[in-house]
Amino acid sequence: MTAPRLLTRALVASFLTVALVLGAVFAVLSLRVRDQVRQSVADNLASAQQVFIKVEARRQQDMRASVATLAESPTLKAALDTWLTERSTANEETSVELVETVQREARKIAERVGADVLAVADGSRRVVAAGGRLAGSWPRGVVIGNAADASLPSARAVSVGSGMYHVVSVPLQLGESTIGSLELGTALDARYARELADLSRGQAAILSKGAVLASTVSGPAARDLAAYQPSDTGGATMTLAGESWAIQPLSQLGDVTFLALASIDRAADGQMPAALQGLAWVGLGAMGLAVLGSVWLARTLTQPIDHLSRSLSAMTTGDRARNTVPLSGTSRELDQLATTFNSLLTSLASAEAEAEATYLGAVRALAAALDARDPYTAGHSERVSIFAVAIGEELKLDWDAMETLRLGALLHDIGKIGVPDEVLRKSGALTAAEFETIKTHPTAGARILRSIPFLAPHIPIVELHHERPDGLGYPYGLKGDDIPPAARIVHVADAFDAMTSARAYRSGRIPVEAIAELRRCVGTDFDGPSVEALIAALPRLVAATEPHDPKAMQWTPRARSA
Amino acid sequence: MMRRASPAVAILAMLLCGSFAIQTASASARWYAGELRRDPAEAAFGREGGQSGGRVTGTVKLTLANSAPSPASVYERRAVGPRPKAQPEIKSVVIFFSDLPATKAAPMQASIAQKEEQFAPHLVAVTTGSKVAFPNEDPFFHNVFSLSRGAGFNLGRYPSGSSRSQTFTRPGIVKVFCEIHSHMSAVIRVFEHGWFTVPNEDGTFAIDSVPPGDHTLVAWHERIGERRDRVTIRAGADTQINFTLPVLEPGQ
Repeated sequence: MTAPRLLTRALVASFLTVALVLGAVFAVLSLRVRDQVRQSVADNLASAQQVFIKVEARRQQDMRASVATLAESPTLKAALDTWLTERSTANEETSVELVETVQREARKIAERVGADVLAVADGSRRVVAAGGRLAGSWPRGVVIGNAADASLPSARAVSVGSGMYHVVSVPLQLGESTIGSLELGTALDARYARELADLSRGQAAILSKGAVLASTVSGPAARDLAAYQPSDTGGATMTLAGESWAIQPLSQLGDVTFLALASIDRAADGQMPAALQGLAWVGLGAMGLAVLGSVWLARTLTQPIDHLSRSLSAMTTGDRARNTVPLSGTSRELDQLATTFNSLLTSLASAEAEAEATYLGAVRALAAALDARDPYTAGHSERVSIFAVAIGEELKLDWDAMETLRLGALLHDIGKIGVPDEVLRKSGALTAAEFETIKTHPTAGARILRSIPFLAPHIPIVELHHERPDGLGYPYGLKGDDIPPAARIVHVADAFDAMTSARAYRSGRIPVEAIAELRRCVGTDFDGPSVEALIAALPRLVAATEPHDPKAMQWTPRARSA
Repeated sequence: MMRRASPAVAILAMLLCGSFAIQTASASARWYAGELRRDPAEAAFGREGGQSGGRVTGTVKLTLANSAPSPASVYERRAVGPRPKAQPEIKSVVIFFSDLPATKAAPMQASIAQKEEQFAPHLVAVTTGSKVAFPNEDPFFHNVFSLSRGAGFNLGRYPSGSSRSQTFTRPGIVKVFCEIHSHMSAVIRVFEHGWFTVPNEDGTFAIDSVPPGDHTLVAWHERIGERRDRVTIRAGADTQINFTLPVLEPGQ
């Protein structure tokens, strides 16, 4: 398994950090949003209830106004006053008709006002006659409220029989005297609570002395509601049956408290998804930005490192260009790293050159020692190497092939180490057996080189430098293209040097003759391109090669004068 | 039953009566029942036998002008015009003997004007057969009607300056209203004899030529109720009796 890329790691690390921070921020924000939604719901409820309080107060006033208007009924007053006077006077019989008239008027007014119950009462608030839906619960003679208290407010909460009523009193006046009153009663029952709830667009409850008289809230919430305590600030928040409720006192009537209430949780549940959805979109956008930011950050951090790493890998795996790692300038640390690497590279290159020089020197010494066995062949290997390299340059071989060619040519006759001196130095014609001994030197050389691993590329040159294109060479008789190009080149260079060198049995030929001989044998003995390349390179070689014997000077003066 | 009026209340009542002492001389002022008392009583008594009767005098005190609690009203009175001068409440009291036999007392002429959306006077006491006129002295229509048993009537609506009248033949209480102005009311007490009177504004009253003997004297107010007391009348002598209305119960 390969290690993850630095870019990936940086990306993951920075994004995770940002995502964690964002997540924390949005968790806090969503809590805040929840609080704010609840607060705004509570505020809305409070303001709606405030409006309702005003509307309800106005409604009460209007109702009082219509009752007051209806109270100015001459018939009602006349009947009541006449009846009351007759009742208070001894020896006077009271008239049934008068009571019936009063009763009729009471019913009429109750119907007009739409009251639960409307009673015509005497000066002691004792019911004379009543009308309305609940007239039956206010029978004649019942006192509505405390009769002794003359300074009762016009609106009050009164307990009559088993029920509690909101009572508005309107006086019936004759001149300066008050003969009685109209008592407009609204039963504080579930029906009234529903009415309040409809008007306040929420829930409503009527409380008296710590007990719930009526409410539109049911179940455990209604039980918890009994614990309500009026606060000075007006609106309050209360937990009923585990839910949060906004409670607004509508009005206070003696012991009776009218409340408008609404569940904050229920209202907030409606608004919360919208608010959270908006927040989620913002969160998504922020995450997207975080991804972009992380990518940018990771790239900024890793790009110079990546660049450096690419430069290094190109340097180590590619061609051995001796260029240095460029300074990126993105950060001081990376530039320091590159500089260090460059200096390391420089010292490595010089060490490598030194090692190569030493190695070349040793090989040259070996070849020179070999050549020195025969005075006629002294310097032969060096010259062959020079010629082969010249041919290689003409053929535009690459750098590695040239290096192989140079060393291979230098070592090409290393196998002659196993050929006895008398055979090697023999000035006369060789016997067949002696020639066979000579012919073993390529394979012997190859055998020697095989024991040295770093000379493996040079083995084909040493082993095959006597093969011929026509297949008449030795040791294997390879033909044409089966012979490696380097071996063909060395074969031409070897032959050229041999022809231009003196031997114990003959003197050296001049280069022009040697070239003619080479050309004559192209295709049979020699490789054509290699021969032509040698010919092309000859003028250059004149300047570079020291003449190894006086005869060679015959073609050098032209080059020198050139 | 204890008669125990608090001094403070009594002083208050006196001050109240005093403040109403100034009485305008209206056209109807001479028809006040209090000023008529002598004529029918003396005539009746004279007709009975000519013997000299006794005289009862006294004072009526009102401790409360109104027995009913006044709920605070969000509205002002219904009257259109400026608030008229209030009539002294003492003039709504009638003093009469309840157990004297019916005599053929002479019918009387009385008048209750409708002025400034008030019946003035608020109360008249007359003998049976008397005729009471209701002149309209306001610049708008008025009406007179009654629901009282045995005396129910309705004189209809009539314009400013005109007058209609009604004869009362049955003894008792007749309450009179105006169907146009619901706050207007008046009381007419009809007696079969002439021994009754309406006190003066200072609360004093006197009834002359009362047949000697033990009688029941009643002070009556339409809303406060009545107070009865036994009096012994001696021929040619003055009997003093004072009333306080209403009678306050102990502890009140």
